[in-house]
Amino acid sequence: VVALPARPTSRRTWRTASRQRLIFGYTLLAPAALYVLLLVGAPFVFSLYLAVSDATVGDPVATFVGLENFRAAWEMDTFWIAFRNSLVFLVVAAIFKSVLGTALAFLLLQDFWGKKVIRGLVVIPFTLPIAISVLSWKWMYDSQFSVINWVLSRAGLIGSFGSPDWPVWLGQPHLALAACIAVNVWRTFPFSAIVLLAGFTSVPLEVLDAARVDGCTFFQRFRHVVVPMIFPILMIGFLFDTVFTLSDLSVVYLLTQGGPGNATKILPVLAYQIGIQAGNLGRGAAIALCLVPLLFPVLILVLRNIKRREW
Amino acid sequence: MAQPRTRRQKEVRRHLLLYAGVTPFVVIAVFPIYWMAITAFKQEPDLYRMDNIPFWFNLAPTLKNFQILFLQTNYGAWIVNTMTISTWVAVITLLTAVPAGYALARLRLPGAENTGIAIFMTYLVPPIILFLPLSRVVADAGLQDSWWALVLVYPTFTIPFCTWLLMGFFKTVPMEVEEAARVDGCGQFGAFVRVVLPVSLPGILTSVIFAFTLSMQDFLYGLAFVSPGDQKPVPVGVPTELIRGDVYYWGSLMAAALLVGLPVAVLYNFFLDRFIQGITGGVVK
Repeated sequence: VVALPARPTSRRTWRTASRQRLIFGYTLLAPAALYVLLLVGAPFVFSLYLAVSDATVGDPVATFVGLENFRAAWEMDTFWIAFRNSLVFLVVAAIFKSVLGTALAFLLLQDFWGKKVIRGLVVIPFTLPIAISVLSWKWMYDSQFSVINWVLSRAGLIGSFGSPDWPVWLGQPHLALAACIAVNVWRTFPFSAIVLLAGFTSVPLEVLDAARVDGCTFFQRFRHVVVPMIFPILMIGFLFDTVFTLSDLSVVYLLTQGGPGNATKILPVLAYQIGIQAGNLGRGAAIALCLVPLLFPVLILVLRNIKRREW
Repeated sequence: MAQPRTRRQKEVRRHLLLYAGVTPFVVIAVFPIYWMAITAFKQEPDLYRMDNIPFWFNLAPTLKNFQILFLQTNYGAWIVNTMTISTWVAVITLLTAVPAGYALARLRLPGAENTGIAIFMTYLVPPIILFLPLSRVVADAGLQDSWWALVLVYPTFTIPFCTWLLMGFFKTVPMEVEEAARVDGCGQFGAFVRVVLPVSLPGILTSVIFAFTLSMQDFLYGLAFVSPGDQKPVPVGVPTELIRGDVYYWGSLMAAALLVGLPVAVLYNFFLDRFIQGITGGVVK
């Protein structure tokens, strides 16, 4: 009889406590959520709208033009060149940075004196702001005073300045694309290495020992224990890199602006030139959005991997 | 007696092999920065002589390139802009990401996990897709042609990243700490401010660092939204304003790049592992 009145009260306090907790929680969450919603979510939707409108910088009142911008892009030779260059850039860079990154990761996995210092030096390319390090490369690729050419010339691999085999790194179509890819590889191979290292060190030694006790060979341990365990983190590193490499404009923009001709034109540069420099917002947005089908599978994969985060 | 010696010899040989393997990587990674540094201190004529060995000074080193930078260009203003922008971005990021990270990690909100992932995913929406619509937002807010535009847009990538990072941090604070505070009479907010925040100070400091370094990594937004010469941040001002037409003042350019790039690189270096941990989520345990 005494206990009876206590029950509803306790339930009510429990309920109000939990309601309070929710209100408190959503209040704390609101500023960040709103910021992201208003300045990432809404602009993303707005860019879909821009892509189907004829908005320009000078004429903000846009009318709906359907898929006209996409059709126009489709019929542009430059668009397809940029599309192809973006893919070549992505694939070639990925091959080089994974080879270099893996080699470096295996080296850094060993114990040796001064490893921390060496690691700190090797990751500098990744930590330096990209717009700043590209300037150094631009100077190294100088048409006449390139230090790379100086070395090649002294080594007897090429003639002196003015000879026909003197490479003009940023002036010859194929070399220019290779030069841009080289900067991207230089900047991101430390990232690949560090991600891989993080993966390796996440494999507990006991697991490896257990496998060894069970009679697994080195190759079996690698194939059946290490690879499956580091796969999720490798995927995430790879996918992040894909997003940043595909959408980065600074390397190409600062080195060549897409030239010579359209030899290094990639989709982000084209989108910038049409959207901002030519002022055609609608068409620029349409071109930028053409990156989405390339990025979408990547995003899905990240999402599937990230769900494995332990909570 | 012979055995330790051979073991030591083995160790030495192993080290030599490892150094031989690592050296090419170090040279590739560091050479562009070395080249930047040596160019910054060289006299103009020293840059354009192919008959000497270019890796060291053939004429006396000089500070002239740095003088030019501060006396004849907006470089000083760009540094101030960069610092002010980053400070504002850090403030906005902390004010939003700290509470959000706490709420998502601690308060058992329904759908917290998915909300956290959704916020983090926006970090992966690249600026190249957002910069055209954002240019309209910036214009409507009346911020075009001022660095305030960047204070508005940089949090679009610092908030998602730092919220995610802080979620991880808040999860590591034992629940008991907070419960003890509650028992001692702190309210929900009191427990958050007086107990959880101080314990999470390292995470909060890390977020500040990232607000700075991630802001410095941007180029596109600065290029697209800020055109007056005195309003630019350093990474945008240097490549766009110091190159006049076809004339490259390599000495000053490299000086400008070095002076800002190096401190940022060093600072970022210390927090790189946190960054990697952040983006790989809890996949690495």
